Amino acid sequence: MHNVIGILFGNNGSDILQGLAFQRSTAAVPFGGRYRLLDFALSSMVNSGIRTIGLVTPRHYRSILDHLGAGKEWLLDRKSGGLFILPGAIQGLSGQSGRFALKDLQLNIEYLQKDFSENIIISGCNHVFNMNYQEAFDLHETKQADITLIYKESDDSAAMVGKERLIIGDNQKILDIQGQDTPETTGQIHDYFADMLIIRRKLLLEIIEGYRSIETVNLMDAIQENIRSLKVYGVQFNGYYGTINSVKDYFDRSMELLNPKIRKEVLTGQDRIHTKIVDNPPTKHGAHAKVSNSLISSGCTIEGEVYDSILSRGVIVERGATIRNCIIMQKCKIAADTGLNYVILDKFVKVRAGNVLKGKKNTPLVVLKGSVV
Amino acid sequence: MSSSSLQAQRERGKSMQKQECIAMLLAGGQGSRLGGLTHNIAKPAVSFCGKYRIIDFSLSNCANSNINTVGVLTQYKPFLLNSYIGLGSAWNLDNPFGGVHILPPYVGENEGSWYKGTANAIYQNLDFINFYDPEFVLILSGDHIYKMNYLSMLNFHKEKGSEITISTIDVPWAEVSRFGIVTIDEDNRIIKFTEKSRYPESNLASMGIYIFNWPILKQALIRDAQDHLSENDFGKNIIPKQIELGRKLYAYKFQGYWRDVGTIESYYNANMESLGGKDSIDLFDPVQRVFSNEDILPPQYVGPTAKIQNSLISNGCVVLGQVSHSILAPGAYVGEGSIVEDSILLPHAKVNRQSRINKSIVGEGAKIMSHCSIGREPGSNPQQAGITVLEDHYLLEKGSVIQAGSNLNSAC
Repeated sequence: MHNVIGILFGNNGSDILQGLAFQRSTAAVPFGGRYRLLDFALSSMVNSGIRTIGLVTPRHYRSILDHLGAGKEWLLDRKSGGLFILPGAIQGLSGQSGRFALKDLQLNIEYLQKDFSENIIISGCNHVFNMNYQEAFDLHETKQADITLIYKESDDSAAMVGKERLIIGDNQKILDIQGQDTPETTGQIHDYFADMLIIRRKLLLEIIEGYRSIETVNLMDAIQENIRSLKVYGVQFNGYYGTINSVKDYFDRSMELLNPKIRKEVLTGQDRIHTKIVDNPPTKHGAHAKVSNSLISSGCTIEGEVYDSILSRGVIVERGATIRNCIIMQKCKIAADTGLNYVILDKFVKVRAGNVLKGKKNTPLVVLKGSVV
Repeated sequence: MSSSSLQAQRERGKSMQKQECIAMLLAGGQGSRLGGLTHNIAKPAVSFCGKYRIIDFSLSNCANSNINTVGVLTQYKPFLLNSYIGLGSAWNLDNPFGGVHILPPYVGENEGSWYKGTANAIYQNLDFINFYDPEFVLILSGDHIYKMNYLSMLNFHKEKGSEITISTIDVPWAEVSRFGIVTIDEDNRIIKFTEKSRYPESNLASMGIYIFNWPILKQALIRDAQDHLSENDFGKNIIPKQIELGRKLYAYKFQGYWRDVGTIESYYNANMESLGGKDSIDLFDPVQRVFSNEDILPPQYVGPTAKIQNSLISNGCVVLGQVSHSILAPGAYVGEGSIVEDSILLPHAKVNRQSRINKSIVGEGAKIMSHCSIGREPGSNPQQAGITVLEDHYLLEKGSVIQAGSNLNSAC
């Protein structure tokens, strides 16, 4: 895709994920065994042919930078273009988070000024999806739109919490952007803004300039205020769109990857999700291993039993351990004669022999990174 | 590396490009004894132990030994091998002062030809070695499975004041005739070298890994090229000649796991050894890691009715049936009701429903339709120990029954 650069907001989201997002932003939360959440948005851009991408960093950006490095695995270690780290503004409170805050863009205005591209694709990175922007971009160009918003039709207001509702007229023209659901609108079908949009670069620069004096305004507010004078169109995204607003959501979206249809669409289709490569050996299933309906990453050693679970790289499951309905992150070690059910183990957790950990389907138990249980 | 950056190196002066030791990796062999596995691909690029390819081990050893200038001599079906190696970045070998260089045969003003032997291949690339002007040249073979720190061997070479050092390993007496055998004195100095002899004097075998002082190598290669009777081979010609000339050759004794995977049988056995047992290549060792150039694939999916035991399963695999004592390379698929035992599925091999596979090697992208039986009927090919081999991209029709030890090639 020529003439387009990308901006990813890695600082959307707050402390909804409890301990999982304690020392990392939502974007950097591990997902699906070998990925992190931002891989989905980032790969969607890369697979659409975008080779210049700026990432607005969150407050805790160590884990994001550790994951991305120079962007090699996403084909972004380049002489021209490539991956740009755009330090995000420090918000007053750590839990507080602007979505598409103009302040973040103001701080990094050079990234937008020095490029020659006509258009910019902006996306959040807290969602599970695999989208090729070509179709949306084609519409953007055909309609000569100023802004094209990508939306998802849904009647699940719980999943779409915090997302703007779009009022769409003939010809996909956006007539209005409304705030979050109210009790009256809950449960009906709406077109929710999916945290992805295409905007003309010059227009974005004008908007940033125009709102310079107002600290807290975000891009969606600015578009909404000027909706009558701008040509704003909408494109529906029909694919799988997993939203994560709570630990339960995180658990459910993860488990949805065990569904072959969703896995095929998100992970094994034409466009692959890129992620950091660690050069692990293949996973060893031992003589007493029993694994069923699970996603297992490389470098694991499994001697115990694993059912309906997702294992990240380098996990060790000893003989006699039984894991059901769990998400086990990188390099956890589960010793013999243990039982885990509905548990999320963050990275480097050690479960000592003989322990039983149980969460509930609706409230999975989260064990913090590096804990010894 | 582009020519402009080579130019830049030259301008930076000799000090930048000079290397203490560079490696020359012989990867041009056809590997015809691997049958269907090398019909479309050079032997060093054959998949090994799930996610690896044979050449990964030598390249990773170089990376782990801080040798970051490697010339890879290719000749036979080089395309996949070349694209797999790329710039060498997968092994951390993309280095502006060195790096990996693919060296195919080329034609000069007056001369140029295919590589006639191992020594001839190096001889034809004297210019390359001259460019880096090293003190030592490490000669490697691209088809061995082992982990070795070449710096220990280099230190030994320096300590002994050796001119040529050969890495050696004790092999079982029964197999001695397959190898080049060295006879040494009490100081490890080599007094005799016999290639594939029927009456060997020792069981100390050459691993085909040599360190030469560069001036000695240069002189030896030039002389060898002038000898029309020579087969231009290190083991057959160069080494015996140098012993004859009274050079200081020493044997470095390597301790550890080392396998030559030149035949179907040895390839199969080396793969299977990695499934466990005392003697195997340790893939899980965090210090001496084996790097590889891997594709982007999702984690493996193990289905509700699957059963996997004693097996290595790679990324991107989907297992719905039973797998025991087997190795599945990235993207392999085992359908419902199928049983795979003692077998190796190479990348993206697909076994559909209700098939049974015993002791087989299923080539890359090969497809086995449902209700097949492979390697379960006794066969008539004792040479490869009853191992059945399906060539890359072979399509096996529904309901086929294949005898053990068969070789299925698309061309036939």
